[in-house]
Amino acid sequence: MIKEKVKQFIVENFALGTAPTSLGDDTSLVGTGIVDSTGVMELIGFLEQEFRISIDDADLVPENLDSINRMVAFLQSKGVADLATGTGE
Amino acid sequence: MFSKDVLRLDPEAETNRLCRFLQDRVLAHYKRKGVVVGISGGIDSAVITALNVRAFGAERVLGVIMPEKESNPISAPLARQLAAKFGVPVVETDLTPVLDALRVYSHKDLIIGRLVPSYDPASDKTKIALPANVLDRAAFNVFTLTVQKPDGTSRSVRLGADDFREIESVQNMKQRVRMMQLYHHAERLHRVVCGTTNKNESDQGFYVKYGDGGVDIEPIVHLYKSQVFELGRYLGVTTEILNRMPSPDTWSGCVGDEEFYFRMPFDVLDMLLYAWNNRIPKNEVEAALDLTEQQIDRAFADFEAKSKATWHLRTLPDSIAEPSTAGTEA
Repeated sequence: MIKEKVKQFIVENFALGTAPTSLGDDTSLVGTGIVDSTGVMELIGFLEQEFRISIDDADLVPENLDSINRMVAFLQSKGVADLATGTGE
Repeated sequence: MFSKDVLRLDPEAETNRLCRFLQDRVLAHYKRKGVVVGISGGIDSAVITALNVRAFGAERVLGVIMPEKESNPISAPLARQLAAKFGVPVVETDLTPVLDALRVYSHKDLIIGRLVPSYDPASDKTKIALPANVLDRAAFNVFTLTVQKPDGTSRSVRLGADDFREIESVQNMKQRVRMMQLYHHAERLHRVVCGTTNKNESDQGFYVKYGDGGVDIEPIVHLYKSQVFELGRYLGVTTEILNRMPSPDTWSGCVGDEEFYFRMPFDVLDMLLYAWNNRIPKNEVEAALDLTEQQIDRAFADFEAKSKATWHLRTLPDSIAEPSTAGTEA
């Protein structure tokens, strides 16, 4: 559920014309140019609003946000439950 | 072998080369009578002014000084001093009324007031900046707005995408209005507008499309910032400008280029940017600059991100090359 929502947002806002299935879960979004600097700001806004979390400045690092899988892991570390799988901390 | 000497110039030879370039482009290629230069009080426009005086004589160089109410108060006096030293005639236009009419200040104040309710446009200073010291922390390029009170206290908030784009689009009108002024003078005098963009700015997208990037020639776009300073010392740029911290000078709060955009000191930035541009092996960079591989990776990733995010600044307008014919497919 988390992964699908994140992937959908990225495809709809940045990877226009890309099918969700072709966007790799470990693809570096900034490194490949899919998401640029202001795109990162959009992504932060989406994650905070969609998942009702607050992201600290210290967390705005590639380790947390630069791929779909990293974002999923980060969101789970912030206590966001993945409703489809029932996982979450 | 990569070393700190790699950016050393022969300033006399480089000056002669640049003067030949300017003479060829302005006189032979453009067939114009001289140049117009926006003199900001900073090092880049100071060097450009000095070079053009060398190339054409002061009488063929017009300096245009264009302060506005958020400019550093020292900028215009430094610009006048520089122009006087090189004998360059100047025209000075305060852009505040134009920017006011375009609602640059009021639009920005509205956004800032919403983000920081205690903001008082009459007394507070503002600035935006990126996270500091990219070498030690690979933070994304997300801007923070800071409001500074007269009592020295401040409040900072992270900018969201929409607010950043609104503020940036409004602020960029300053550079675009300056471009209008420069072309007004260039056209009435049958001259060209000479740009002041250096390589750091060009590579990393630190200029405004059709703002300070809207010019006819860019003589120092191949020079790193430290090289611009080296030329400035050789050409006799005023001490005050040589010692001045480079800044965008578009915010009322004091913010240098390093804090605003580049996220590292210029001496390190220049070397790392050179290494990135020229694919210098990382082990050579580590040895020459006494940096770790991780620090170099962070810097290179930042260069890559900024270059990719600003590619459109370095392109010409798109168009369809082939003319349409009766058989052209719809």
